[in-house]
Amino acid sequence: MEFNKILVPVTGRPVDDETMRLACQLAKKNKGKIWAVYVIAVKRSLPLDAEIKSETTKAEEILDHIATVAEEADYEVETDLLQAREVGPTIVDEAVEREVDLIIMGLSYKRRFGQFSLGNVLPYVLGKAPCQVILYHQYTS
Amino acid sequence: MTENYQPKPGDKVIRPRRIKRFRLRRVLGVPALFSAGYGNVGSSIYYALGIVALVAMGATPVVLGIAGVLFIFTALTYAEGTAMLPEAGGSASFARHGFNDLAGFAAGWALMLSYIVTIAISAYTIPPYLGFFFEPFKASPIVGTLTSMGIVGFLMAINIVGIKETSFINIGAAILDITTQVALVVIGFILLFNPPVLISRIIDNWPTTGNLVFGIALASIAYTGIETMSQMAEETKQPEKKVPRALIMMIVAVLVIFAGISLVSLSAMTPQELASDWARDPVAGIAAKLPIVLISDVLKPLIALLAGTILLIATNAGLIGISRLAFSLGSHKLQPAILSRVHEKFKTPYVAIIIFGIIALIILTPGFFAANAFENMGALYAFGSLLAFMFAHASILSLRIRQPNLERPFKLGWNLKLWGRELPISSIIGLVATGIIWVIILITQPYSRWVGIIWMAVGFIVYYFYRRRENLPFFHNARKPGGRVL
Repeated sequence: MEFNKILVPVTGRPVDDETMRLACQLAKKNKGKIWAVYVIAVKRSLPLDAEIKSETTKAEEILDHIATVAEEADYEVETDLLQAREVGPTIVDEAVEREVDLIIMGLSYKRRFGQFSLGNVLPYVLGKAPCQVILYHQYTS
Repeated sequence: MTENYQPKPGDKVIRPRRIKRFRLRRVLGVPALFSAGYGNVGSSIYYALGIVALVAMGATPVVLGIAGVLFIFTALTYAEGTAMLPEAGGSASFARHGFNDLAGFAAGWALMLSYIVTIAISAYTIPPYLGFFFEPFKASPIVGTLTSMGIVGFLMAINIVGIKETSFINIGAAILDITTQVALVVIGFILLFNPPVLISRIIDNWPTTGNLVFGIALASIAYTGIETMSQMAEETKQPEKKVPRALIMMIVAVLVIFAGISLVSLSAMTPQELASDWARDPVAGIAAKLPIVLISDVLKPLIALLAGTILLIATNAGLIGISRLAFSLGSHKLQPAILSRVHEKFKTPYVAIIIFGIIALIILTPGFFAANAFENMGALYAFGSLLAFMFAHASILSLRIRQPNLERPFKLGWNLKLWGRELPISSIIGLVATGIIWVIILITQPYSRWVGIIWMAVGFIVYYFYRRRENLPFFHNARKPGGRVL
């Protein structure tokens, strides 16, 4: 399989690092392009263009870190910061707009009401993505 | 993997600098925009009919019709303004661009008043509808008002914590809303509509000229959604095309439904009944008057539940609207930054929600003892919203004069050519008509006159001291260090 354009949504969790390394490995073969995106979900009680300093600072740090991870893997990555109401549709829209052929998302083990849960974003992306999707689950002992 | 990594000399990673700190992702299309707007306007029929009937009596359908024409003019003005300036703020944003910061503040502050009153009125009319399930909600002013206050308090709390409300809820509510209203209009026309009775009720209960004009002013409460749709432009894909389209769809839907429901209501009951027994829950009154018991028995609880839910969503929409507007005014340095302060943990503008929520609670307090509290709330709403509409019309005209070459993706037709400038006739009529009605309200309604004037005066005082402390000009637009207008 060949991937020329890869989208990597990041959230600031430890799994992001390995997800990015995997993206770099997959993209290297064809010298593909990688975009790492962080989505700030803005609450409905604020305007969409509200600049929430604490959130943008945190997002910038996460994106800077992920760019460093890619740098360490000897790869070039473009980072982007998006602000939207909902994360899932934003990732899908971004994938459509950039015409990516792969979305790689890191997955952490979460429990909700005692059950393993994928949350809201992953099922939405899996259901609506215009391309292939890889979910990467980091092994933790 | 990383342990073995050794950077090589000359290794270089190019990371383009971000021009903006973030990009906005706009996702709403025409259906989502229409449903959000209609969800707001559609909810107002559950109380607007009764509030208008209180003063316009038999002329209620006529008054709603005249206000409907003004609504068309205002919606068209908003369509041009929003397509031209797709940002949060609505009429406050138009006024800031069309005139200056002071006008932008005045429009925004007036709009805030109408949002606060929307919160109060929507919450105030929930208990009467729920009275179907528990009589004291409707019968007792104390139980009813306390419940309304509880609803506002509850919504304040969940908005501070920040609930996740998806557009699915908006679309679902709008579909349910339209379906029920259309069903009620169709059933009402089949079972109740009686032209001779309707005409005699209109003629026999024709109000005084003063009440007729006041009724037109109050009827503006039925059209609360224009601002909501304008505020949502910032979340819409291609707002320059989609907002005008959604606004026109809304105009048609609202006028048809409102005309139908007002005609059916006056066929179902006398204006006196509508203005007394069913003033706060007029749609429930129509369901109760249906002659076929089976349909009536099904519709009564359904409408009670649906109206309660939709009004709850409308109350929440008011709270969301005011907190967004407060943040938007704050970010343009039109009011103190404290009102835009975001909670560290919940990421919501908690100060704005608390302050304006408390003011809505204060506006609700006359509900305990004053018989005309409902009418007063309506007049106060009209004071704020008509002022905001006036600013919107005037700003569109001002921008046509001062910036004739500004790109206008939706440009109003039927223009008057004066001094080489094209001025839209609909905006001129809208400005004059809303101005006259606003002045009449100011003269004839002491409650809204004094509360409204005090509200505006407090706003100007806060604005004056805030701008002085920040070393910003009182009239002119605040600018960033580079010279760009904020």
